[in-house]
Amino acid sequence: MRARTTAAVAVAALLGLTACGSGQGGGADEGPITLRMTTWSANEAHVTLFNEIADEYKKSHPNVTAITFDAIPFESYTTTLTTQIAGGNPPDLAWVLENAAPDFVSSGALLPLDDTLKGADGYNFDELAPAATKLWQTDGKLYGYPFSTSPFGIFVNTDLVKAAGQQTPAELIAANQWTWENAAKLAAAVNAKTGKAGLVVRDFDYKGWDNLSTVWTGWGAEAWSADGKTCGFDKPEMVEAMTFLHRATFTDKAFPGPGTTADFFAAEAGLTITQISRASLLKDTKFGWDLVTLPTGPKGNYAVIGQGGLGVLKKGKHAEAAADFLAFFTNPTNSAKLAQFFPPPRTSQLTTDTLAKTNPLLKPEQLKAVVIDGISSGVVKPSHTGQAELSQAVRSALDPLWKPDADVPTVLAGVCTTINPLLAK
Amino acid sequence: MALLTDDRRAGRTSHRPAPGGTRRWWTTRRRDHLAGYLFIAPQLAGSVLFVLIPLGLVVWYSLHEWNVLADTFDFVGAENYRAMADDPNLPGVLRATALFSVGLVALNLSLALFLAVLLNQRLRGTAFFRVLFFSPVVVSLVAWTIVWGFLLQDNGGINGLLDTIGVDGPNWLRGDLTAMLSVIVVQVVKNVGLNLVLFLAALQGVPGELYEAARVEGASRWTQFRRITVPLISPTILLTSIITVVGSLQVFAQIAVLTQGGPGSSTTVLVYYLYQQAFQFHHFGYGATISVLLFLIVLALTVVQWQMRKRWVFHEQ
Amino acid sequence: MSSSLSPRTKVLLYGTLSVLAIPFVFPTWWMVTSSVKPVSEIFAFPPSLVPTSVSFEGYRDAFSTQPFAQQYLNSAYIAVVVTFGTLAVSALAGYAFARIRFRGQNALFLVVLLGLLIPSEVTIVPLFRMFNAAGLVDTHWPLILVPILGAPSVLATFIMRQFFLALPAELEEAARLDGLGRFATFWRIGLPLSRPALGAVSIFTFLHSWNLYLEPIVFLSTPEKFTLPQALTQFVDAYGGPMWNVQLSAASLTAIPVLVVFVIAQRQFVEGLAHTGLKG
Repeated sequence: MRARTTAAVAVAALLGLTACGSGQGGGADEGPITLRMTTWSANEAHVTLFNEIADEYKKSHPNVTAITFDAIPFESYTTTLTTQIAGGNPPDLAWVLENAAPDFVSSGALLPLDDTLKGADGYNFDELAPAATKLWQTDGKLYGYPFSTSPFGIFVNTDLVKAAGQQTPAELIAANQWTWENAAKLAAAVNAKTGKAGLVVRDFDYKGWDNLSTVWTGWGAEAWSADGKTCGFDKPEMVEAMTFLHRATFTDKAFPGPGTTADFFAAEAGLTITQISRASLLKDTKFGWDLVTLPTGPKGNYAVIGQGGLGVLKKGKHAEAAADFLAFFTNPTNSAKLAQFFPPPRTSQLTTDTLAKTNPLLKPEQLKAVVIDGISSGVVKPSHTGQAELSQAVRSALDPLWKPDADVPTVLAGVCTTINPLLAK
Repeated sequence: MALLTDDRRAGRTSHRPAPGGTRRWWTTRRRDHLAGYLFIAPQLAGSVLFVLIPLGLVVWYSLHEWNVLADTFDFVGAENYRAMADDPNLPGVLRATALFSVGLVALNLSLALFLAVLLNQRLRGTAFFRVLFFSPVVVSLVAWTIVWGFLLQDNGGINGLLDTIGVDGPNWLRGDLTAMLSVIVVQVVKNVGLNLVLFLAALQGVPGELYEAARVEGASRWTQFRRITVPLISPTILLTSIITVVGSLQVFAQIAVLTQGGPGSSTTVLVYYLYQQAFQFHHFGYGATISVLLFLIVLALTVVQWQMRKRWVFHEQ
Repeated sequence: MSSSLSPRTKVLLYGTLSVLAIPFVFPTWWMVTSSVKPVSEIFAFPPSLVPTSVSFEGYRDAFSTQPFAQQYLNSAYIAVVVTFGTLAVSALAGYAFARIRFRGQNALFLVVLLGLLIPSEVTIVPLFRMFNAAGLVDTHWPLILVPILGAPSVLATFIMRQFFLALPAELEEAARLDGLGRFATFWRIGLPLSRPALGAVSIFTFLHSWNLYLEPIVFLSTPEKFTLPQALTQFVDAYGGPMWNVQLSAASLTAIPVLVVFVIAQRQFVEGLAHTGLKG
């Protein structure tokens, strides 16, 4: 008996303490405002630029006393963000990964931005490229600003290609022979002659399967139909694309096999498919390199883009102020500054001139071919509501494919069996 | 047999009448009660605040459909529990959990005991080897796992080492069985040092005369081990096995870094599944339901082990 | 077990021990040597056991890309505070559960023991909400309070209780007869006698706090407040690609000092652990 009473008193006392604490922590809407934005970049140059923009904003908005940028590790980004929201401590602004976009946009977690952005002085809302904003809209409202719209291209280590005695992709493009068949042959030759990896689909690593859309889109394949209801893995074009990929990996050794690490930027691979924003990693490289478009597939030319969005959390303490800062952060002036790291969605800034100024490593023709044309025609990597669960299910169902003796059509049919119930949700 | 000492022994100092004994109400006994409560107050308050209340909240969450992004929190009764009974993934997850735990506990305890017996020999340099075997315990878990992630690659250090002795190593993290084996071994190597030291201490407490006597009677080394060593250190075996079993059901970071539950779902153990459901798929209500299941499993296993001690743990009395 | 071993047995023993030691030593060796290798050599196959050229660039970058020194300090001070706090809480509770008889003792002990059975993933969301309500998110308080008072300290209390149970009570009884109060008996007699167990608890607790991973990731968001395990995962380029050599350098930096301290103090370390009163 006594024990129980003691315990109860202790609980009450401690809960009381907790309650007092919460009184101090929350509230206080009037008075000084502090804003917090979560990002997945701890990169020094990025953070310096963000802070510059924030300092300028604070000058004109004295009630905003602090703006902080919290970098969360990329791999656990969405998870950590969700935990903070679940715990009742959402950031005011957040970067959102494209694969989480449908969840965030459709759930109502984000504040619609149209009115704030359209009302901001000199914002030029109408110049945002529709291809870039599509993913971030629902029911005609914009819930995230696509601050980074980065097309995929192929970086080439020209030294390795030459060492393998092959024609470079640039030469193949000039001869109109830059096809997936030839790209695979080239990669296989690099592997056979130099011992380095051939072509690396960066961030795929036999887990991040959505990066394979940079390959299969050339066959006209898609993970699921545009309305998100029909599985696309068992369609003939997907089977064909995956059969190509399987043969190139296990028979020709054009792609490094599962469980093999090869970093292009450490000169460990002949070619890599990645977003052009990674060009900054080439700053100190000692090998010759080039950037080219994705090869043509059986269905002709195509481009794939990856995106990052910036949104305002409705549950944040100062949603209005946060939206106002977002409008400042992404206005034409600041967008031009951000363009050195993140290709902007503004059509007026998608010119070789603007981009060349901020991307000194890339040549104008590279920017034109990969970035500007890519953004206007690009297909966004696959995304769907409930993406995390879907993505996990696909990854797990695709695993049997990454064995030398796998039966491609059977495995792909199995993927559809697994994800159909999830697509139907 | 300290571990098994009856709790009643603890109180034997308190039944003496109070010296003087003038005040009838404020007896030594009452004073002891108060002292006891005061002594355990911080720990008890902490347990209530940071263990019991959160646990209660988890049970409460498990009765709800909780979508963090949409900010909905609806009472659904036993719906999550019904969904759990029908979850097609759960049997596989439970199988993986059982395989992982059994493999981990068996390997950990047998290796710890084996190493402890070896290091208990009169041999120069045992202190040096003791340091080697214990050293992974002090290496940061995240650093340890990151390094093993490198080493277990198909073209990584393990296969490189195997290559130098002419063995073509498997692609460790890509095969169902080898991936499971890898996470078990990584975990065992990291932590076996703790059990090793506990066993070593227990072995040193076994009186040497017992072995002398056994040898006189012509008992083999194996018989000595089985009939003398094991019974005498059985309380330590019990304790280490409880800690290891409970620990095996809590292994998370290693799986998150090394395999993410794959290939397929072959290394998706319960804790990882719970993490996926709650933090990755945003099904916090369902995640809470799995938490409750996990808690019940750990509780049941501990109770069973505690009960079993009566059977096989050796008593001096 | 035996008084003398034949030379053959000795060779066999040394051989077995050496082979078994490989998986225990090789990862650390590989981590430290790779951290000074050029990036391209990290992935060389088969791995080079000794780097062909040594570069400390990764170490320099570890400090320039993040407030790594500050993070080091954070981890160290949190671990020290948690260790002392846990010693106080667990010694008191362990002593009471072993020595003092009070009503509801066994039931309360079971309540406390529950903490041993709950993975931190299970309670992290409610804990996060509670600390958030108290305005303590993005401070070090959750990383200090929960280990000292919550589930992690339960093992410490358990060890202390077992130790006191195994310790003969005569000295304390004599002191009590001399009129010493409960706390004075504990402070002047019990505590000094329990030094080996306290040593073991310190080691357990320090390592646990030093290795904490999930909690910092969930509770902390400012790089200046990060702890080491969390900082380790942050050595990536702007796009989430790992900076291999920096990551390995930082990992080595978190491991080497603790390893050095361990090697120097290993006798007390290991024997402290052994004398936890857990043995027969």
